[in-house]
Amino acid sequence: MINLSEYFGRRLPATTGTDRLGTGKLAVKRVGQRYQCQRCQQWLANSDQLPNGAWYCRQCLQLGRVTSQTKLYTIPEPNRFSPSESPLTWTGKLSPDQQRAAEKIRQHVQQGQSQLLWAVTGAGKTEIVYPALAWAVARGWRVAWASPRVDVCLELAPRIQAAFAAVSQCVLYGEQPAPYRYSQLTVCTTHQLLRFEHAFDWIIVDEVDAFPLATSPLLQLAITRAEKPTGQHLYLTATPGEKLQRQIRQRTLVATYLPLRYHGYLLPQLRVKLAWRWREYLRKGRLPRPLIQQLLTYLQKGQRFLLFVPHVRDLPEIMAELGRQGIRGGVSVHAADPERTCKVQALRDQRLSFLVTTTILERGVTFPNIAVVILGGDDAVFSTAALVQIAGRAGRSAKFPGGEVTCYVQTQTRAVRRAQVMITRLNRQGKQRGGRRP
Amino acid sequence: MTICVWCARTFEPPVTLQDLLRWRPLPVPALCLNCQERFTPITGAHCPACGRQQATTVRCHDCERWGAETLTNRALFQYDAGMKAYMQQYKFQGDYALRKALQTPLYQALAQQSYDVLVPIPVDQRTWLTRGFNQVTGWLHGQPFQQVLRVKADHKSQPQSAKTRAERLVTPQPFMLDAAAAKIIVNQRVLLLDDVYTTGRTLRQAASQIYLGGAKAVTSLTLAR
Repeated sequence: MINLSEYFGRRLPATTGTDRLGTGKLAVKRVGQRYQCQRCQQWLANSDQLPNGAWYCRQCLQLGRVTSQTKLYTIPEPNRFSPSESPLTWTGKLSPDQQRAAEKIRQHVQQGQSQLLWAVTGAGKTEIVYPALAWAVARGWRVAWASPRVDVCLELAPRIQAAFAAVSQCVLYGEQPAPYRYSQLTVCTTHQLLRFEHAFDWIIVDEVDAFPLATSPLLQLAITRAEKPTGQHLYLTATPGEKLQRQIRQRTLVATYLPLRYHGYLLPQLRVKLAWRWREYLRKGRLPRPLIQQLLTYLQKGQRFLLFVPHVRDLPEIMAELGRQGIRGGVSVHAADPERTCKVQALRDQRLSFLVTTTILERGVTFPNIAVVILGGDDAVFSTAALVQIAGRAGRSAKFPGGEVTCYVQTQTRAVRRAQVMITRLNRQGKQRGGRRP
Repeated sequence: MTICVWCARTFEPPVTLQDLLRWRPLPVPALCLNCQERFTPITGAHCPACGRQQATTVRCHDCERWGAETLTNRALFQYDAGMKAYMQQYKFQGDYALRKALQTPLYQALAQQSYDVLVPIPVDQRTWLTRGFNQVTGWLHGQPFQQVLRVKADHKSQPQSAKTRAERLVTPQPFMLDAAAAKIIVNQRVLLLDDVYTTGRTLRQAASQIYLGGAKAVTSLTLAR
């Protein structure tokens, strides 16, 4: 017995009960000489054929394999919800600036416009969306809150659950243990949107400039297709990429700005320090002298810090050298680390005095009173967005709005300079709204 | 510039002087160095019966437990986290393109074995329909093989990988010989090929069927142990 609600606004293969699901569409279709996956719209390579003659898509394999013998079934989204009058159970208060931004977003949603919220790191983006989301939910809309990062989804889900306690919700990501449930609010990774078709009236895309969404046409397409033809979307970001900025300038995308953090202090600026030939030194297992000095000072003052390095493979050597220099009491963490969340929590609980990490901690994590140091900011992995995000880790709490951000480079690169320019510009706008220096 | 079949990143394959002097098209590796390192080859001392990596060259504890039912098996890689991740994507998610990743090492290993007939372990009909390929023959790249074994039609197809050791050991004989098998394997040295050696139940059952068909000797080779 199949549950028909699982097929509302989705595109899924079915094994049983296909007679109640309509005809279905072939999952891999021949178009001219080539084959195209109907789930992710990517072209198959001409070697992706199985010995039994079927063609299969490698691009969306992680969602379960579809072949040219699979059929995908859809039931058009019926919006079968019982909306409540006031679904918002969140009792926090927005600052006047946040209030203004929230009001604007709600107006744009009511006018049916797709839009962007450009709010600095630590502005409280999530809460700003709540009033508009409450309005949408009360109208009976189906809404998705999607992010390219699993961490962001995992962090968001309980917050949204608490803020909209009476609204049915489900969380979707790659290794999630719970089964899918048809619900009004869906918090998911952008990959999961590939399973939907014309399902959502409103899609909120959090951290729209983050990897891998920014560089992946597949995922951008997934968003467009998961949205109803009458639907709209809202992009949330602190660091929009060139393309989005151009769309704002050309007025094809409405933007709401929030250049001030929720506590009203300005962003800490990147302080660039020259570290001559840091890469060569690192290869010999050594670190720049000024960096060591700075970290030792932090340790003496009891100041916790994050040290960002370009690559995972540099981590063991850096940890060894830090140990030799007497900088102990911290650990390294990288993307594939099984104890990642545990280590991050340990730093938050002050059980560790520092973390050495790569760009995986560039967004979505908050530590009160933390100093930030970047080694090798001129490396290609640190894009402008990454640098601004990393700098945004500092001074996030109202108690400790200040925070040092130091960036060691061999040469000034365009990315570093652009990051500084972006922070300066945001701070200038913030000052006009009464932002204070910490 | 080559694209790694597993992680889909581009990489520069290393070129040795030998490759250049051979004056042939350069070999194109399927895996980048990082992905290659996810596999741990079994080198040096190993159990003479099952091929498991160990410090000594005496029969291991598990092989002693088999008693008289002996089998000589070689394995190429250890069944560790990397190999599990590979099998998960190749076998269970059905990413047939990943077969290329282990074709070269298997080719080299087969060249060192002495045998007359190569017999891959078959998959049952339902697996063939859902998976669309036999994971063992996928690794063969031009080598001749004889599919003389078949899975019995009445064999209950709960996969071995979903069972405990005790459950595996009491599995009834799943294989039968093909009608034309006798001509092919009589008085021949047969090499069985399988993906993973876990308890050795499957391979021993296959070997006993091959012996019934009149083979002179049966050894086996698996990708992982």
